[in-house]
Amino acid sequence: MIQKKERRWSLLFYCSSRSVRTHRLSIPKGRLGSITRGDKNMLADPSAGRYPRLALMVAGPLVARFFLLLQQGVKIRRRVGCSVDVFLRQEIGAAPETIEKIQSIMLDGKPVDDIGSSLLHDGSTLALSAALPGLVGATLRRGGAYSSFRSAITYHETGKACAPREGWVRVKIFNLLMGELGPGLLQTGVLLRSSELLGFLTERAEDFGEGCSATLDGKPIDVGKLKESMESVRSDQVFLTVAVSRR
Amino acid sequence: MDKILRIDVGAAGGPKATAVPVGEYAGLGGRALTSAIVSKEVPPLCHPLGGDNKLVIAPGLLSGTAASQSGRISVGCKSPLTGGIKESNSGGQPSQVLAKLGYNAIVLEGKPTSDDLYKVFINKDGVKITKDNSLKMLPNYDLIAKMKAEHGDAICCISIGPAGEMKMGAATVAFTDMELRPTRHAGRGGVGAVMGSKNIKVIVLDSTGMPVRPPKDQPKFQDANKRFVDGLKKHPVTGQGLPAYGTNVLTNILNEVGGYPTYNFKQGRFDGAAKISGETQAETETKRGGLATHGCHRGCVIQCSGTYNDKDGHFLTKQPEYETVWAHGGNCGISDLDKIAMLDFLDDNYGLDTIEMGATIAVAMEAGLAKFGDADAAIRMVKEVGKGTDLGRILGNGAAMTGKAFGVERVPVVKNQAMPAYDPRAVQGIGVTYATSPMGADHTAGYAVAQNVLKVGGDVNALKPEGQVELSRNLQIATAAIDSTGMCLFIAFAVLDQPDTFQALLDMLNAFYGLNLTGDGVTDLGKKVLKMERDFNARAGFTPQHDRLPSYFKTEKFAPHNVTFGVKDEDLDKVFNW
Repeated sequence: MIQKKERRWSLLFYCSSRSVRTHRLSIPKGRLGSITRGDKNMLADPSAGRYPRLALMVAGPLVARFFLLLQQGVKIRRRVGCSVDVFLRQEIGAAPETIEKIQSIMLDGKPVDDIGSSLLHDGSTLALSAALPGLVGATLRRGGAYSSFRSAITYHETGKACAPREGWVRVKIFNLLMGELGPGLLQTGVLLRSSELLGFLTERAEDFGEGCSATLDGKPIDVGKLKESMESVRSDQVFLTVAVSRR
Repeated sequence: MDKILRIDVGAAGGPKATAVPVGEYAGLGGRALTSAIVSKEVPPLCHPLGGDNKLVIAPGLLSGTAASQSGRISVGCKSPLTGGIKESNSGGQPSQVLAKLGYNAIVLEGKPTSDDLYKVFINKDGVKITKDNSLKMLPNYDLIAKMKAEHGDAICCISIGPAGEMKMGAATVAFTDMELRPTRHAGRGGVGAVMGSKNIKVIVLDSTGMPVRPPKDQPKFQDANKRFVDGLKKHPVTGQGLPAYGTNVLTNILNEVGGYPTYNFKQGRFDGAAKISGETQAETETKRGGLATHGCHRGCVIQCSGTYNDKDGHFLTKQPEYETVWAHGGNCGISDLDKIAMLDFLDDNYGLDTIEMGATIAVAMEAGLAKFGDADAAIRMVKEVGKGTDLGRILGNGAAMTGKAFGVERVPVVKNQAMPAYDPRAVQGIGVTYATSPMGADHTAGYAVAQNVLKVGGDVNALKPEGQVELSRNLQIATAAIDSTGMCLFIAFAVLDQPDTFQALLDMLNAFYGLNLTGDGVTDLGKKVLKMERDFNARAGFTPQHDRLPSYFKTEKFAPHNVTFGVKDEDLDKVFNW
């Protein structure tokens, strides 16, 4: 396990694309709060190799192709028991200007108005969107003037804050936020259904070639045979990291 | 712009065009003008396809000028679908060109004396009307190719497809875009059937030699236009979200909140939503060499459209809108973007409203004509409409007709017009607008979110239950006003958040016409339009009972939130109390 962790760190260290750098720059120093870098890695890591781990290094622009996975929802392991606001800042690492851009937030499928009082729990689903067009776009804005239009489905917190602990949160990232939050999430790793990833790779098999490399559970695999490699995976979920190669 | 072109299709010897002064309709444009003419000149109890009905085509107040986003065009008549007054508007090139040619409106009136089909050609030298029966039953793309061959590519066209000729309730009037493709449509309410009833197949416009309309105060106009454009560009919706993904950016979020009507409004989430989302669509378009960012007319800075190529990289259709992707997609259980794009093309080609057709096919699927998710069956159904088979005649007359023909109770219509892509149980405020709009179920009737700028009706406490009624009223007033300017409704997003952008719009209108219009003036215009429209409908026999959603929306719980429509009837009746 120690060896695996070390390998993961070296992989992360290798990232040097503009998009990843941009993401790192968007996280102010100390934004990860009380979580140290090592803790963060531990939290992102599905414990004890429970899930197969596919680590991809791709040429710069290709990382954006993976953003589409985020709209379907991916699971991340983070500290929960905190408010949406704290989660975004400390666990996702969203910069204040990014949080400003997040105009619509859905917690367990319900629009959130108050991100300070709405709480994340183990198993929560959190969906994030930038500003949207139309009356409905305005209606779904957090704290917007038209929030009464969807009062029947608005999120109201009924639970109480509890001591922070680790848990899985399913996050869905939509539209313009994919480019802002996607690189960081993919870099630290996301858990998703194997069939989903297989379908995704099948449709884009030809996209991954020069400048790309991959490991499955730490062992190098032929990037041209990603689909075949994924087909051999027996688990229904897979832990994916995507980083950008130097070339 | 100082004249109205009236074409009497019943004149002896064939249609006769007469340009008359704009007269009492001066100062009106777009929806305000179409509704004014229809409410004053059309007998409300007339048959929509008879000689007493009129089809009014009107550009906006700033069309044909250098003003950005000024290319909307309104089409008005008594609707063959709803039986009430109708205004349906569209993008495309004809609004700018018709205005440059000096016309406030074209009015098609009278009853044809024969079955002959006509082409109208308008340029700086005047109007020429030609009998051309070779155009009969030509789909829009073939028709426009023929017009291009005859008149060159400096033209733009207003046309109907076979659905309009067959006088179907879902028939559209098509408007060509910058590439001279018939991709823009006044879609709702069967306006194409009224054009078909006048035996006018196509109106060809050529503004060669006509200058851009000059404002009264050029420097002030230029300054206001610049501020207006800057406002649009800096707003996150008009400057970023719409250009990147188009209106289909809404799919994911509507699905996430459980407000995405799926399987004929049975549930609020669709498993295949991510496959047809705006994000997926944009990636597909760019990967195939299409465009995810494109304007529908010259002078557009929002660029919410695009081009959708097939798998081989050939143009298939314009970027389907959110409502289209929903109607033919999730509402029918279809998650194949290519099939949805094909359905969009077929609708455009035959001249059919994509919302009405998607809703109709879903009703047909519920009736058992096909299984939900069967995209090929959906394509076959639209082709039946294009051919005018017995089944196609039923489907082409919309969801309500199809529901009656096949004994389906769950038909999502108001005033016979199919509901768009937002379930009124999840987003109840929009249900108020669906129910009460004079147009029938219409998502754009209360689209203009300008409450905080216009202060229509004063400050509203949105947290009160009655806030939904008040907000719907105010939104409908604001939308009626913006529709009357001929500006793209999408400007409303920037106007909502940026009062200075709204002021820039007012300044443009004032500098162009030498007026002193204020926000109150805009509000009054919106109220005036709605009053005319409601008055027409009342005289046509509409009562408060027509301002209701189908009863199953009050009783059938909508998953995943298990909500029903809860706004009381007595509150719906208060919407137009001002």
